[in-house]
Amino acid sequence: MSTALTIDFVTAKGGRTSVETEPGTSFLDVARAADIDVTATCGARGKCRGCRVKILKGAVPPPTIMDEVQLGPDEVHEGFRLACQTRVIADTEIMLAPPHAEGGHKILGSGKDRGQQAGIDMDSGVMKKFVTAAIPVDEHEQSSDIEEILTATGASKSGTLAPDLLRKLPGVLREKRGAVTVTTFNGDILDIEPGDTTEHKYGMAFDIGTTSIVGALIDLDSGEQLASVGDVNPQAVYGGDLMSRLAFAQFDLPALRKLRARAVQAVNDHIKEACEKAAVAPEHIYKVVIVGNTAMHHIFLGIDPTYVGLAPYAPSIRGAIEMPARDLLLKTIPNAKICMLPIVAGFVGADAMGAVLATRIFESEDFRVLVDIGTNGEVIMGRKGKLMACSAPAGPALEGAQIKHGMRGAIGAIEKVHIGEAVTCETIGGAPATGICGSGLIDAAASLLKAGVLLTSGRFRTRDDKSLPAALAARLLGSGGKSEFALVLAQESGNDTDITLTQEDIRQLQLAKGAIYSGVLMLQRIMKVPIDEIAELQLAGGFGNYINTESAVAIHLLPSIPLEKITYVGNAALMGAEIALISETERKRADVLAKEIEHVSLAAHPEFQDIFIEAMCFPEKKVDAHFAEAEA
Amino acid sequence: MAIPELKIPDGWEGRAPGGWDWQPLWEAVEKGHHDFTSEFVQNSIDKDIDPRTILDDGLFPGFNLQGDRFSEQLIFIPEMLITARAMKAGLALIRPLLAAKAEKPLGNFVIGTVLGDMHDIGQSIVTIMLENAGFKITNLGTDVHPDKFIEAAREEKADLIGFSALLSTTVYYQKVTIEEITKAGVRDKMKILIGGAPTTQEWADEIGADGWGKDAIAAVKLAQALIQEKREAWA
Repeated sequence: MSTALTIDFVTAKGGRTSVETEPGTSFLDVARAADIDVTATCGARGKCRGCRVKILKGAVPPPTIMDEVQLGPDEVHEGFRLACQTRVIADTEIMLAPPHAEGGHKILGSGKDRGQQAGIDMDSGVMKKFVTAAIPVDEHEQSSDIEEILTATGASKSGTLAPDLLRKLPGVLREKRGAVTVTTFNGDILDIEPGDTTEHKYGMAFDIGTTSIVGALIDLDSGEQLASVGDVNPQAVYGGDLMSRLAFAQFDLPALRKLRARAVQAVNDHIKEACEKAAVAPEHIYKVVIVGNTAMHHIFLGIDPTYVGLAPYAPSIRGAIEMPARDLLLKTIPNAKICMLPIVAGFVGADAMGAVLATRIFESEDFRVLVDIGTNGEVIMGRKGKLMACSAPAGPALEGAQIKHGMRGAIGAIEKVHIGEAVTCETIGGAPATGICGSGLIDAAASLLKAGVLLTSGRFRTRDDKSLPAALAARLLGSGGKSEFALVLAQESGNDTDITLTQEDIRQLQLAKGAIYSGVLMLQRIMKVPIDEIAELQLAGGFGNYINTESAVAIHLLPSIPLEKITYVGNAALMGAEIALISETERKRADVLAKEIEHVSLAAHPEFQDIFIEAMCFPEKKVDAHFAEAEA
Repeated sequence: MAIPELKIPDGWEGRAPGGWDWQPLWEAVEKGHHDFTSEFVQNSIDKDIDPRTILDDGLFPGFNLQGDRFSEQLIFIPEMLITARAMKAGLALIRPLLAAKAEKPLGNFVIGTVLGDMHDIGQSIVTIMLENAGFKITNLGTDVHPDKFIEAAREEKADLIGFSALLSTTVYYQKVTIEEITKAGVRDKMKILIGGAPTTQEWADEIGADGWGKDAIAAVKLAQALIQEKREAWA
């Protein structure tokens, strides 16, 4: 049932070309078929930003991982897409080669979510000094190459040099007749190069996630982002989710080495790729800041992560780490500084710390809550002077796993559900439905709850229940624990089967949303923060971008908070790493903050069971029962 | 599908004072009203009703009804937990009295979550169900070291020992615990049951457990079958 769609290509100068095409074709192919020139430097592999387009009118297709990597959350949010990665889903008007999001290159501090970051001063700790040192000439009063260099730079301390620097010293000093550039990081000499290279001072930030590894190359003078890179985490072949990855490496050092080698290789590949994209020499990268959950952090450093997976989930180290690249086998110069942000707890890792740094929750006068919705997400709540965190593992249900007709957010996935007189489902790309994705699952549950098909306990009403309209009762199939609600009937679906939501699917959703909501409730209770005192709820992580927040509140995945207080902050973990990269003040702040954030173990808390019971149920009405009780 | 029904024990009317009505207690347990449950059970004790009768005729029916509904997936963890909470409140009053009467249990069952695992919500439901089925339970709680299992099994002369694990990383300790029990030379004295979300029958077979329960109801049935098997082996 493919119908022709119309794509209008417009240029920044006002030109317009209309092309008809089939749904599912990439925008790049549509353009090429019509002889419209689109730059695809990387060969349509999603590895560059050349074919960037902006959707002006019509449904914006969901971003692919490469869109996220190349364009970043701000541009993705504003409707920018890579033409080679994005497939046509509706009649659309797109702009070819649009200007970048406000402010030209993505600079830290641009974009609405990063307003506060603009205030961060450049203070990367990396200094480059061009000097002309004397070449030792006097045999009577002996000097040395390094003494002459130190004298020329005006350095007070004698300084110890890494072996590789010592070995190249004689040649470097004499190559340009004593003209050298000395690079230091907080006073330590990282490199000495012949000639003046002071213009080239770069760093990289990485978020090593369980699913994907993303990074950014940043100019340490201007703070400008020169390239972004990313791909799936190649460790995934040894276990897709965090716990199975940990189980793979458990008590097995060769397995740990395999995982580590893959992460190091991936980071090295990303460094190389970023440098090529930005035409930067890898030897001019002096500082790399890395965040990641505790397990990824440990594995990357080669620390046995076994005990991170076992209660009490103790990390081997929590504080910030600084070590030379050569110790981690990274392919920058051997002395480049690799900095890992600190860890709060076994399941509140350096990635969460990055998110704290990026969202500036510690500067807020009012209470704010940061929620990372993920398989192993976390909740952080607080304000200036007081922050608490807990792990909130939602499991994979929200990614469509363990759901009968579950699927990832791809074409044909139900993403919106409306139930009134009839049941209306919107799918990604408007294609006939073939399954339901996480955001659709949340939306469907909220609609079923509103329509009374679903009770607050999470149970479906029975088919013979007189209170249900006949049209909805007819969609209830099976009975008891095997009940299902048909969202899309076989004749309208894309795979000739009823697309249903089963009682078991609802139970999985209850477990997932219960984990997150109990995290929020627990921190609210411990910190004694009533819901109306929360000034902002920030959603982090890839999934947060797609969920219908109204539905998320309606099923109590998120607390009953006015929707305008909910903001999406994108990959806050990587943003935090970028902040620590450009600012030593901020990196040091992270170390202090990590020690101040109080970690709460949900399962060990005496009130956990009561809170978990409440969190797993769907809300009664608009009243927040929890606080009525807490305040009584 | 079997629709679970309230099963009223035979002869229940004759085992309490005239005019005594258990109905409110059944409903209190079913709906999870723990304060009311405590009050009603205490009232029954004060009226000199036999503790076994209070348990069988007063507390069981409501709990079993919910247990059956849970098994049929009609209700979910929250409802089961609040019923379990009410049940616990009642049991807390009855248990000392039953112990004083030294009733012979169906078997001694030692239960706990394995080393490294803190998740005991499922286990708390299984514990009550096993207790209802007549087992004497020694619940070692969470994060239990293999040595502690062995020690408790010796002290309690355990017929059955069960340990759950909820994480992919902690199932490993089910294997270790069985190995340690074997090394301690007490493996043949007890039947071993395992459970928990990531576990399977294959895993149970692989590590040499005697049985695997996919849920609480299955665990109780399995425990009953295994104790029977053990009795027959000795007969």
